[in-house]
Amino acid sequence: MPYLLRKVVILVFTLWVAATLNFVLPRLVPGDPVSVMLAKYQGRLDPSAVDALKIAYGLNDLGSPVSQYFSYLGRLLHGDFGRSISLFPTPVTDVIGQALPYTLGLVGITTILSFVIGTALGLYSGWRRGQTGADALTPVSLFLSSMPYFWFALVMLYVFAFQLKWFPLSGALDPFPGAAFTAGWWSSLLRHAALPAFTILVTSVGGWLITMRNNVVSVASEDYLAFARAKGLTERRILSRYVLRNALLPSFTSFGMALGFVVGGSILTEIVFSYPGLGFYLYQAVVGLDYPLMQAIFFIIALAVLLANFAVDLINVLLDPRVREGRA
Amino acid sequence: MNALNLGGLRRLFSQPRTVIGAGILIVLLLMGLFAPLLTRYDPNSLEFDSFLPLSVKHPLGTTAIGQDIFAQLLYGARLTLLVGAVAGLIATVLSVALGLTAAYLGGWVDEAINALINVFLVLPGLPLVIIASAFLRGGGIWPVILVISFTGWAWGARVLRSQALALRERDFVQAAVASGESSGRVIFMEILPNMSGLIAANFFGAALYAVLSEAGLSFIGVGDVSLVTWGTMLYWAQAKGALLQGAWWWIATPGLGIALLGTSFALLNFAIDELGNPRLGRAPAKPPRQGRVPASTPAPSDALLSVQHLEVGYVTRAGTVRAVRNVSLEVNPGEFVGLAGESGCGKSTLAFAATRLLDPPGAVLGGTVALNGRDLLALSPEELRQVRWKEFSLVFQASMNVLNPVLKVREQVYDAMQAHGIHDKKVLEARAEELFRLVGIRESALDAYPHQLSGGMKQRVVIAIALALEPRLIVMDEPTTALDVVVQRQILQEISEVRRRLGIAVVFITHDLSLLVEMSDRIAIMYAGEVVEQAPAHELYRQPAHPYTQQLMQAFPPMTGPRERRSGIPGRPPALSEQLTGCPFFARCAKRMPGICDVKPLETFTVSEAHTVACFLYDPAVPLATRTLALNAGTPPPAPAHPATEVNLESALPYSQTN
Repeated sequence: MPYLLRKVVILVFTLWVAATLNFVLPRLVPGDPVSVMLAKYQGRLDPSAVDALKIAYGLNDLGSPVSQYFSYLGRLLHGDFGRSISLFPTPVTDVIGQALPYTLGLVGITTILSFVIGTALGLYSGWRRGQTGADALTPVSLFLSSMPYFWFALVMLYVFAFQLKWFPLSGALDPFPGAAFTAGWWSSLLRHAALPAFTILVTSVGGWLITMRNNVVSVASEDYLAFARAKGLTERRILSRYVLRNALLPSFTSFGMALGFVVGGSILTEIVFSYPGLGFYLYQAVVGLDYPLMQAIFFIIALAVLLANFAVDLINVLLDPRVREGRA
Repeated sequence: MNALNLGGLRRLFSQPRTVIGAGILIVLLLMGLFAPLLTRYDPNSLEFDSFLPLSVKHPLGTTAIGQDIFAQLLYGARLTLLVGAVAGLIATVLSVALGLTAAYLGGWVDEAINALINVFLVLPGLPLVIIASAFLRGGGIWPVILVISFTGWAWGARVLRSQALALRERDFVQAAVASGESSGRVIFMEILPNMSGLIAANFFGAALYAVLSEAGLSFIGVGDVSLVTWGTMLYWAQAKGALLQGAWWWIATPGLGIALLGTSFALLNFAIDELGNPRLGRAPAKPPRQGRVPASTPAPSDALLSVQHLEVGYVTRAGTVRAVRNVSLEVNPGEFVGLAGESGCGKSTLAFAATRLLDPPGAVLGGTVALNGRDLLALSPEELRQVRWKEFSLVFQASMNVLNPVLKVREQVYDAMQAHGIHDKKVLEARAEELFRLVGIRESALDAYPHQLSGGMKQRVVIAIALALEPRLIVMDEPTTALDVVVQRQILQEISEVRRRLGIAVVFITHDLSLLVEMSDRIAIMYAGEVVEQAPAHELYRQPAHPYTQQLMQAFPPMTGPRERRSGIPGRPPALSEQLTGCPFFARCAKRMPGICDVKPLETFTVSEAHTVACFLYDPAVPLATRTLALNAGTPPPAPAHPATEVNLESALPYSQTN
């Protein structure tokens, strides 16, 4: 199917571009990253770490940049990201393995919730357009989604964790939460996740609302909607099979993208709440000039986004008959 | 049309959200510009004690190292706005350049740019910016601006590219290309001006992204924290534990500043976007149901559909456009009634209002509509839903988009029947297949999606759906106008045959009078919102009474006879927003009687049984001599007295057929 083939080509191409950017960026810094790091750690790095670094960057390889580039791509294909520098000698994959569940749990669930709530409100706002309540949702959403979300996180932290002490100040679990998956552990997990989750929800729901509202308004003026009403269909059926089905299509594409970005975490939120997800580690990597970790996380984010996009394309084929023949 | 011009700007600023957005932006801009006047302090001087509380001297206290926070807030507005404006501008220029180049040149250039856009769209924005900025640390504000611009252009480029692609196909651009204008001229004179609205909206969107990105970057210390922006203020406040010290205003004020600036950009973006796509605008206020003559129960009659004194208007800000004026029309069971008139005469509005499908700003202002003796206008929504399709169905004008693109045809045939109580799968299937045979399409088309069918097939599907419940009345609004002549004829023959067999009454709306003469039992002619003549088809054909009908008839060449030049009717119909006195056709009428036609309120007179006409030539109160004189003289009308501000309800040119 040419449509799918096209999508696969785009997927592979974009992945290659991301990997290449990953390779090029560290080499744009004056000097090489290893000497930058050696200067930073001032002899605190042991020799094996220096060797590991050199191997990680292909600096022991005396070949041309071109051959370095290819050996880099080769190592990528084997999933070999090297060792973290700030958490030496932990392999980068271990760091990521540790952080990923927290990010997926927090950001993944809130992204889905946000999409569902925002889309439902957008449907209401678009369908009941002209009523005060429905119309007031738009400016409120615009304000909420124009707020710097880390700032909102700070305000939440200050009021509910620092002043009122309803929620913990940082982290994902109490120091001694008990055995995993017990009641005490779950309650600790949920209390820690509550504020970050609320922050992400409030600052992201508006975007979905506006998108959905615009889609619904566009669909509402289509001829097929007037025809559906003329047929005497029930309001429920019109909403579900005619409005929702058509208005969700564009939102759904963005939702897939958002799901991909989940892997990158909600960087600033995780930083403010010291939530040990991937975004938090990406920040640590940037601050600590931990290039292997930085590159690996970036690559994984890009991979997740691309795969999510690809999945959306596949599902779109099922949802929109027009796409199947490459018309849309 | 997506252009920003004077009229557009005026409409833009008549919206509260534009005014609020621009207002916030101007206040913040003034804050930055006049910072030296508003505060005596240097934002960077460390001359005060740390963490001073709020006071008259320091309205927002001081920072941990003794800077005046109010001064920082004012001066911080400068760089924050600079980042938003410049990064927004660079990103927009990139979007426009790449989007237009791709759309204009097409071919492999388009493919390449489109691939690039996709790459940048899926690359994660913030992590990329963080990583890129990590390598540019401490280099001042410009590296940050550049990094933000280079990661923020892709979305705009995608939108602008598709818009430019659409514009390139438009007639006026094609005409410019065909007339040999240079590419540069076509792009800058034809395409760009028409995209100005979109580009402006895009700029504000990019500026919003830039401000939020800068704040985020500065907050985590990537970028140059020695500068004073609202983002770096947040960085220092957080780094120095402002909240722990209880100095919440150090965090609150710059964040609020960013939120307000962001909201202002978002409001402007939204408002300009809406201008280009008016459908997104606020729904007009519900028109008052004023004037609708209440509770005048429809007079009992044998008619299937009885429209009495119907008044329909479009309530706009400029006033009410009275599109249907005091129209009375009856349709008997099994009768084929043709409704003809120029585009914009109100015939579609009449059909939509009578079936209660009119959307605001359209509204029924008076009169009654009864179907089978039941007042349609008084039905509750649920009662109306049940009556629809069971008692009467509709075939729409723009039938290419009448079917839901994402549902199979089968579901759309079924749901009409399911909504009225038929749920048995076997019955549904048998009926659907029967209907498709009836209108002459393969049964396999039931499992097709609408886009897989040709225009003629889609229209047959719609007619099949309209017949599904064997309603007693079908209203057809130019059902074949969009089809080619051969298909048109086939479908019309099928309609004619089916409705005769099933005894269904049809109201057939068209501007094609010759078609109606052939098919109808009775014809009603509409002009400027009024029914000016009603008669049995053959009588109307042989003896048209109204001068307007006569002229319409003359516009058609006879089937046989010598070739001759046909003339249209000079002039235009009056604007429906005006209060008309006398006959609406007066200005264009060749047989008018000044002093009578333009003075007396219009009345309807009976010419013979079942033949009525709204023309004073048949008014027994007017002296016969005057009428005979007018009938025979045919004084040519002067240049149209009515101004050319036509109310184009169907966005088509006034009907004037020359052959």
